[in-house]
Amino acid sequence: MSMDRHSDGALDGNAAGGRLRELFALDVTAAEIVCDGCGAIAEVGAVRSYGGAMGAVLRCAHCDTVVLRITHTPAGLWLDMRGARRLFVAAPVS
Amino acid sequence: MPGIEPLRRLQWMTATVRDVIDETQRVRSLVLDVPDWPGHRAGQHVDVRLTAEDGYQAQRSYSIASAPAAAQLTLTVERIGEGEVSPYLAGEARAGDRFELRGPIGGYFVWTPDLGGPLFLVAGGSGVVPLMAMLRQRAAALSTVPATLLYSSRGFDDIIYRAELDKLAGQGGGLTVVHTLTRERPAGWSGFTRRIDRAMLQGAGFALAARPRIFVCGPTPLVEAAAVALRDIGHEPHWIKTERFGPTGS
Repeated sequence: MSMDRHSDGALDGNAAGGRLRELFALDVTAAEIVCDGCGAIAEVGAVRSYGGAMGAVLRCAHCDTVVLRITHTPAGLWLDMRGARRLFVAAPVS
Repeated sequence: MPGIEPLRRLQWMTATVRDVIDETQRVRSLVLDVPDWPGHRAGQHVDVRLTAEDGYQAQRSYSIASAPAAAQLTLTVERIGEGEVSPYLAGEARAGDRFELRGPIGGYFVWTPDLGGPLFLVAGGSGVVPLMAMLRQRAAALSTVPATLLYSSRGFDDIIYRAELDKLAGQGGGLTVVHTLTRERPAGWSGFTRRIDRAMLQGAGFALAARPRIFVCGPTPLVEAAAVALRDIGHEPHWIKTERFGPTGS
């Protein structure tokens, strides 16, 4: 991976991992996220991700609903997850 | 929740370039000293941040190429003409230069020896970088998990890590490397000469019953075509991990 781009092309949620780690104490790229639009379940690392200088927008790969939006502004960090029904982090296999 | 440990807070760290390796005409590896690097798993990436004298910052993500056990952290970067970061990393960076990075990042596109195999890796261009970290870790761990790398490059001289892949595959450790060259081939080339397709994935990959762990990394069109074909063949979607990157490379 070498995500040096100018295009608006979608990447994977994995590419937003650094942004998400600014907020979450757990790695959520391996977590399951349930789309509130269609109910599809996907790993956060596998959904579509649109990035920019200010943050990332994650969209359901099935119905395009925005499931997560993380934004940096000079005022602070914004998280909008209204498009997600839930996030599930599995316990590690041991 | 028992067993789920919060991660260390993700901090920006200073990386110092120790060595620069030209991999191909457009691709370089940067061998870095990163004090206090907490270690990583194969397939993870870092965010790199460059700050201009006027304070302007540009940030990009790059896959880690080195195995977790390696003494230094290595990134392999393809120079993208219009990029803000890659022309520096893959062009101008010199030993002794410093820049900021944070990581390791990502728990989705990750392979560790205990995940087992067989391991079927599918790469396009510099998408081979995180997969190389997996192969390096597999070799370092003396893992005997059967592994196949199906690797699409534009031309023979564009094959990143060519010599090392030849060496790893020649050691009889259960690694097979299958190249396809989509644009230019040297005289006498007897390998594939087309884009990765279903027939190639079926021929190079493992039987469904072997339940291979599959990792696909490359430009978006390659990744999407390969992921669809792998699902059509019948591989379990859960075992097909994909990672796309920006420019199509065309």
